[in-house]
Amino acid sequence: MSATLPRRRASELGLGILAVIVAAFGYLLVQLAQKPDVPPDLWVILASVLALFIGAHVAVRRLAPDSDPVLLPLAALLNGLGFVTVARIDPGLGRIQAVWTAVSVAAFVLTLLFVRRIRTLERYRYTFLFVGMVALLLPLAPGLGKTINGARLWVGIGPVNFQPGEAAKVMLVLFFAAYLVDKRELLARGTRRIGGLRIPELRHLGPLLLAWGISILVMVRETDLGQAMLLFALCGLMLYVATDRIAYVLAAVVLFVGASVVAYSAFGHVQTRVQTWIDPFRYANNKGYQLVQGLFGFAAGGFAGTGLGLGNPKQIPNAATDFVFAAIGEELGLLGAVAVLIALLLIVGAGLRIATRAERPFPKLFATGLTAIIALQSFVIIGGVTRTIPLTGVTLPFISYGGSSLVANWVILALLLRMSDDNARGAPNRRSTVAARAP
Amino acid sequence: MNPAIRRVGVALIVLLLLLVGQLTYLQLVDANSLNHNPHNTRALLQNANRPRGDIVTADGVVVAHSVKVSDGTVFKYLRQYPTKELFSQVVGYQSFLFGSTGVERTYNRDLTGQSLQLQLNNVGGLLSGNQITGTAVLSMRADLQRAAQQALGFQRGSVVLLDVKSGQILAMYSTPSYDPNPLAVHSNTLAQAAFTALNQNPDRPSLPRAYRERYPPGSSFKTITASAALETGVATPQTNFPTLTQLTLPQTTSTLKNFGGESCGGSLVDSFTFSCNTTFGRLGLQLGDQFVPAMAKFGIGSAPPLDVSPGAVPSLGPPAGSFQQNQPLFALAGIGQGDDAVTPLQMALVADGIANGGVIMQPRVVQEIRDSNDKLVQRFSPTPWMTATTPQVAAAVTQMMVSVVQRGTGTGAQIPGVTVAGKTGTAQTVQGANPHAWFVAFAPAEAPRFAVAVLVEHGGNAGNDATGGRVAAPIAAQMLKLALGIR
Repeated sequence: MSATLPRRRASELGLGILAVIVAAFGYLLVQLAQKPDVPPDLWVILASVLALFIGAHVAVRRLAPDSDPVLLPLAALLNGLGFVTVARIDPGLGRIQAVWTAVSVAAFVLTLLFVRRIRTLERYRYTFLFVGMVALLLPLAPGLGKTINGARLWVGIGPVNFQPGEAAKVMLVLFFAAYLVDKRELLARGTRRIGGLRIPELRHLGPLLLAWGISILVMVRETDLGQAMLLFALCGLMLYVATDRIAYVLAAVVLFVGASVVAYSAFGHVQTRVQTWIDPFRYANNKGYQLVQGLFGFAAGGFAGTGLGLGNPKQIPNAATDFVFAAIGEELGLLGAVAVLIALLLIVGAGLRIATRAERPFPKLFATGLTAIIALQSFVIIGGVTRTIPLTGVTLPFISYGGSSLVANWVILALLLRMSDDNARGAPNRRSTVAARAP
Repeated sequence: MNPAIRRVGVALIVLLLLLVGQLTYLQLVDANSLNHNPHNTRALLQNANRPRGDIVTADGVVVAHSVKVSDGTVFKYLRQYPTKELFSQVVGYQSFLFGSTGVERTYNRDLTGQSLQLQLNNVGGLLSGNQITGTAVLSMRADLQRAAQQALGFQRGSVVLLDVKSGQILAMYSTPSYDPNPLAVHSNTLAQAAFTALNQNPDRPSLPRAYRERYPPGSSFKTITASAALETGVATPQTNFPTLTQLTLPQTTSTLKNFGGESCGGSLVDSFTFSCNTTFGRLGLQLGDQFVPAMAKFGIGSAPPLDVSPGAVPSLGPPAGSFQQNQPLFALAGIGQGDDAVTPLQMALVADGIANGGVIMQPRVVQEIRDSNDKLVQRFSPTPWMTATTPQVAAAVTQMMVSVVQRGTGTGAQIPGVTVAGKTGTAQTVQGANPHAWFVAFAPAEAPRFAVAVLVEHGGNAGNDATGGRVAAPIAAQMLKLALGIR
């Protein structure tokens, strides 16, 4: 019997326990910075975090035993660090985030449980497109939608607010992947000629143009630049991977620039974002306040950071959500911030490795799209708070406060692990392993 | 599809590495300028939240200390001043809203452990993350400070007592004073209210009169006039001056009268002993344009480099080179009136210069910095500030000052068994107001140890009858006695 199975899961368990220890120590440090006693709930926190991780780990052992061993510990690390940071900024939000973490792990387990074959999802592509579109547009529905911090992204049902856009992203990526796998030959070849360019039939491009139109609609009605940029980039990126034609990337860039110019001249908030990006200190006391406070946070952190619980991240408005990375940069310094980036890089690496190893085109494209969600979303928000690009509000995967985003990211993780497990099982040399395990 | 996926991978990695680059720029390269950006209150807050060492007196009384609090504000420490108004004008306060003043400001880096000496002393602590603090040890003594406070009572005025050889200040108190504690509270509303009330108080208790308010020095300034006359050779101690009741001033019809309309004159020693205005008005005229440079050597026109912030203000005399245009002003300057305007600290430094063989020492209120384990980190060594005159002239002026206390206007400063050298001053202010009473002195005259300047505004309790000899001299004697350890 091959030793691969126990070794992979043993690595996962070991790395995961390390991540749990990091989170628990972080929590301890935050508490100690406030008063010099070991917090009485430390053991509760430690036990809960450990239980959540062990729960997820056992589910992977049962449901996706041959999957990649680093993804789950990395997610646990980022989620743990995010919880510590959110709880440090606002203990009340921390408690809610803890509940959402439990819900997310449950969603992770349920996804692994119900999605036994990734192929099944491929079949329901139009269902997912429909549900995704509805979800994206739901906040615009009168009575249901809620505007929080100037963006109409929320749907409130009773006391629970959630952002259906987070789930919509995953469903739209699924649709793109399935649709592009079908049409990629047609799209890659192109039948019409306009000048020197070969353009595919409009009816093949239709659904993609529809998605583009919707992202613009989202941008207009929900004042959500980040989400629109993300959807757009995902669409172009997957089109490129499916067809291997760089022309699509160029076309996407041209369309994006065009849309940006229109958006800039049409919407005040777009102008604000660009102005504060170019010269934040000119608007330090008004529209650039948040960005400037974030930059001061990074500067205060310096190389090694002020130490957990010893900085002043509360000076930054929304430090627990959009600006959570500035809080990490302040208290954990360049070292901590780069550690987070490395963890994200490792997730991206693992995700794309799953894509390249997949045998069929659908999981290849789907895994690429899911990984790109995490990578691009991280880039958009970290780039925004570090003034690399104009600021747009999206969540930092696994770290920012916010239930919808956390659940969506854990579902992405489950789907990636499912495909990873499929890859290993699909490989001829592993088949014997599976057979040997059968009673 | 794999080559395309790999290219996407490379692109995503490049994007994330771009962020690493920007982070490095923000947190290492640009951090310093961001930390000093005028919009950055975080740096202020961080400074306010650094653990801060104590300020203690030479005799071990804690004047300022920080207590750890969690009062729901962003502040972690509350600065407290147990001695309240006794040291506030020197030690100052630390406030997030109004910044800090006094010793709190000057020695901020030492108190918060950021000074190079403290950092070097505590390399181990730096690595272990222990935050170090420094203790500022004042040269001032709480018992002397309290004595000055009691001696002044409800009278407005200042007392400055210093160590002759080192220039260290042992007591520096002025009335009215204020309690700094309400300014250091964490509630912005309360702190602002206290600050407004303090600044609107017509008695200006927040003004450290001892080193930031100028008064006409009156006859106490004759110490400088006499030194200048001796040094320039305009007069010797034995030079005889005519006995007059008044001196006719050039370029005008007005006259300069002696105190109480008396007639006086005789030798320079006698003129000094009985504070004869006609003699010293004449000396002012004889010195002419030599007078202002002689004053400058005593520090008139320069701010004494006192180690508090905001610092001491410079004292003033007539404009240099203006003798020909305005001769009467120089006669008035000779008796400490007219353009002469001095701080009590400056007059204590004049006494220090005479007592110390002509060399004025740099005044200080902090003698050393210790670390949190009470280990000595830095001791501030005595530094000369000005060379006021020659040892010979200083000795001659000392003799005249001894004569003042033994048989002249300053007999109220006598201490049994100790030779006191002193000079009175009764300074006219505005028409109708009572004169300021001054006394500058040092003791023992043979081997001077302590110098003192006392000012009581508008005669204090004695009112119109006040003279420097009657009101200020006894306070000076009391301070010298206590400093010398005589009961």
